[in-house]
Amino acid sequence: MMAEAPILSVEDLRVEFGVDRNVFRAVDGVSFSVRRGQTLGIVGESGCGKSVTSLAIMRLVSVPPGRYAGGRVTFDGQDLLKLPESKMRSLRGGRMGMIFQEPMTSLNPVYTCGDQIIESLKVHRNLSPQAARDRAIELFDLVGLPSPSKRVDDYPHQLSGGQRQRVMIALALANDPDLLIADEPTTALDVTIQAQILELMKDLQDRTGTAILLITHDLGVVAETCDEVVVMYAGTVVEQAPTSALFGDPQHPYTIGLMAAVPRIDVDADRLATIEGSVPPPWQVLKGCRFASRCPLADDRCRNEPPPLRAIAPAHRVACWHAPIDGAMA
Amino acid sequence: MTTAADIDSTADPVAPRRRAWWRLLLADRAAALALFLLTVIVLAAALAPWIAPHNPYASSRTVMLPPVWEARGTWNHILGTDGQGRDILSRILYGTRTTLIIGLVAVVVGGVLGSLLGLLSAFYKRIDPYIMRLVDMMLSFPAILLGLALVAVFGPGVVPVIVALAIATIPDCARIARSIAVSVMEQEFIEAGRAVGLSDGTLFVRYLMRNCISSIMIFISLRFGQVILIGAALSFLGLGARPPMAELGMMAAQGRDFLLFAPHIAVIPSVAIFVIVLCANMVGDALRDVLDPRLRS
Repeated sequence: MMAEAPILSVEDLRVEFGVDRNVFRAVDGVSFSVRRGQTLGIVGESGCGKSVTSLAIMRLVSVPPGRYAGGRVTFDGQDLLKLPESKMRSLRGGRMGMIFQEPMTSLNPVYTCGDQIIESLKVHRNLSPQAARDRAIELFDLVGLPSPSKRVDDYPHQLSGGQRQRVMIALALANDPDLLIADEPTTALDVTIQAQILELMKDLQDRTGTAILLITHDLGVVAETCDEVVVMYAGTVVEQAPTSALFGDPQHPYTIGLMAAVPRIDVDADRLATIEGSVPPPWQVLKGCRFASRCPLADDRCRNEPPPLRAIAPAHRVACWHAPIDGAMA
Repeated sequence: MTTAADIDSTADPVAPRRRAWWRLLLADRAAALALFLLTVIVLAAALAPWIAPHNPYASSRTVMLPPVWEARGTWNHILGTDGQGRDILSRILYGTRTTLIIGLVAVVVGGVLGSLLGLLSAFYKRIDPYIMRLVDMMLSFPAILLGLALVAVFGPGVVPVIVALAIATIPDCARIARSIAVSVMEQEFIEAGRAVGLSDGTLFVRYLMRNCISSIMIFISLRFGQVILIGAALSFLGLGARPPMAELGMMAAQGRDFLLFAPHIAVIPSVAIFVIVLCANMVGDALRDVLDPRLRS
């Protein structure tokens, strides 16, 4: 571990959603931290709570139906869950930027792209209109939009998906944030554009030293960009490790299953590997390990006692009674 | 980085700008005609004091004079005279003015209040159930009954009718505005706006309202015809404008007594109402076709 304190640390975060009397926990005791200049990936399949986690960090989970049931989100020493809304608002878009999944719908269609950046600059810094416009053009240039001085006057519908995602990145970076949360930033883009956007984010990180929290379900994206990875399953962290350790020596049966499900170019296979079963519905109360019903190694202890997240190597933590696994399963 | 930027600028950088909506509107022949007629009607109503050939309240000696195209008609009273010998053309001009003002004020006041309720309801989900139950209550109360109640309290007149019509417009508008706003609220840019740190006020006005306003305007323009019709009905029942004031619905009601021997007294104002409502509806429909992006694409 580096001596520097993490810019963001999440401890035992719990977020619940109440539908009438049925309350279910979308995020159940998630902990991780990110340092400046570091990229942390959160992987997991749909509905595992990764997006809710990212929204909770920005405190954007709508309450009701949502509820912060416990835990702490510490950003640069401040507990975000206890911060007054006005302070929180100045952090959002200021010191914390966010990029969304759908570039086609995440820009306001009735204003020009430049206007939206200028708006953010005006909210967070007292820039004159001309200075804000100049800064917007500078940002568009930074994110690699061609002829930026013309693009600022374009409406979102005049840009392609990749260009709009660049605008979103410019918007998120407008006020030099310390933390950039990217919720599936490349999922809606085609593969060549994906690579460009990821490269752009990395490039910008090198220049500004911002911490990146990358939410994705794409292991390929994780392998390429992240320093450290958190694997989530059904609202909990099942494994956390530096990227090389996770890919080289996955320890949780779920992680191993995920890796096996990625088609490989060097292996000729007729069928793709899958993980049997599906994610338990969030309202189902589970006594033991949440993965037990799909796990080939599950035994009585797994079904009755939830496994704690414990370190099996420096910086490598796994929530499984059977860890460390000696490669027998893979 | 420049090469990367070049590659993803595959979308035509100078994409054809959308054709101006009014050009599309005029391309629709029927809509253009309706718009033209409506403009003429509004102008004629607005200029009534200057272009009306006679005083609309003054009686002449010739009572129930038929219009000019009938055997006994004269050019002095082109549309004839009514049961009290007043010039029908002049009264139509003045009456259209009253009717349009009633409809316009009611639809604007009711539309603005209703839309605000609907938008607030979608924006603050906490108050949504309360607002919508209130709207449901208003919706189950017929405008005619409301008009009767208001007239019973304040006496007949234009103002109670406008109030009744405005109140009757609120619930429909609120429901439509809410349904439009709910679908806008679900779009990611609202959340993106929040993530940029915008205040609720900015989000409400610049993100929600601006994205709903064209659809709401279309609904309000369609509603205009209906409101005029209900307003005319209220006047017809004797709840609206007081005689001798001219109002199209009231003129039709007064002509009812002479329907057998001088049908033009009732028919002419009725035709005027018909034409106004038809034009308003056609323009509203065309506006919807032109402005609604879902119907355009």
